[in-house]
Amino acid sequence: MATGPDPDAALMLRVKQGDSAAFEELVEKYKQPVMNFVYRTLPDATEAEDLAQHVFLQVFKSAHRYEAAARFTTWLFTIARNLCLNEIRRRYRHPAESLDETYADDDERPMRQAVETKTFSAPESMLHAELEDKIEEALAALPEKQRTAILMCRGDEFSYEDIARVLECSVSATKSLIHRGREVLKQKLKPYLKTGVWKEK
Amino acid sequence: MNESEFRTLVEESWKRRLTEEERAALDAWLAVRPTERAEWEAEAALNRALGAMPNCPVSSNFTALVMQAVEHEQAQALRESTPASASLWARLLTYIRLPAFRLAWAALLVCGIGIGLAYYSHQTNVRHDVAEGLKAVANVASVPSLSDPAVFEDFDAIRRLAQSSASDDEELYMVLNK
Repeated sequence: MATGPDPDAALMLRVKQGDSAAFEELVEKYKQPVMNFVYRTLPDATEAEDLAQHVFLQVFKSAHRYEAAARFTTWLFTIARNLCLNEIRRRYRHPAESLDETYADDDERPMRQAVETKTFSAPESMLHAELEDKIEEALAALPEKQRTAILMCRGDEFSYEDIARVLECSVSATKSLIHRGREVLKQKLKPYLKTGVWKEK
Repeated sequence: MNESEFRTLVEESWKRRLTEEERAALDAWLAVRPTERAEWEAEAALNRALGAMPNCPVSSNFTALVMQAVEHEQAQALRESTPASASLWARLLTYIRLPAFRLAWAALLVCGIGIGLAYYSHQTNVRHDVAEGLKAVANVASVPSLSDPAVFEDFDAIRRLAQSSASDDEELYMVLNK
């Protein structure tokens, strides 16, 4: 949980002044968490990467509106979540269109020209891979708010207050979302959780 | 520890690993509560499973692509901020500021200088040829005999002789042979 002054907020204030190096630092720092979040909301590696890049571009474009009172990560993940929701809505309305068509007006933007194909790191065993797939599946099947709350709750990066701000609901509602989501996950993963594959570190 | 503290610790465990003290207190409390112990074990297993989820793949050029997009965005913003009435030079200067255009501008500049030098060389040659021509005319004009009007006294008669027809020549021949 973050305490004291937010160093990212300081970087963001530099971005607000037009400092590209500060922005690059933020991208480098948060590309993996944002990518994890987007990928688990839109399970398509290529489109998720495009969308993750648009998240950062949106951060840059909205930099002038950033206020240091807000934690940078809360602001970043609010943007990420909103773009994911827009994309989900767009897919629902126009299922045949790809993300490229959505951003057709930005045709000069070389977003996907050099995207490399990568795969997840090799799992230690077939069983572990199967378990990972099962948990990804179970997460993907959760309602969006429950999934977002659980994903943001995994580490100590976000407080419950931060998660509540991103989800635009109260702290108690956030905890309730996490609790309900976890109950579903426990039910679905019950046979796998008992195997002991996920050992205490 | 009571039920409420147990719930609080469970919520804390969703976000972070419990401290040794918290674990010890929890274990002591759970020792005589098999139902809560089973619940805790399921929570702990799910925590481990969620914590073990791998990172998603990210392209090695992710940051570079974002920065490229940002640069493009800045260029577009600059274009949009330039008023329609702005002079052509102002627009050109806007483009010159962009790294992508700098090379093109440099190449254009080199081509311009090359064309300028070629044109200057051509002009010099033309001037040299004109000067040579004038010099030749000046030399002819400076011949003393040409400056004397008497030289042109029989000019018309001589010119007419040159224009005489073949029939005149034949007539003259016949007269001479009689």
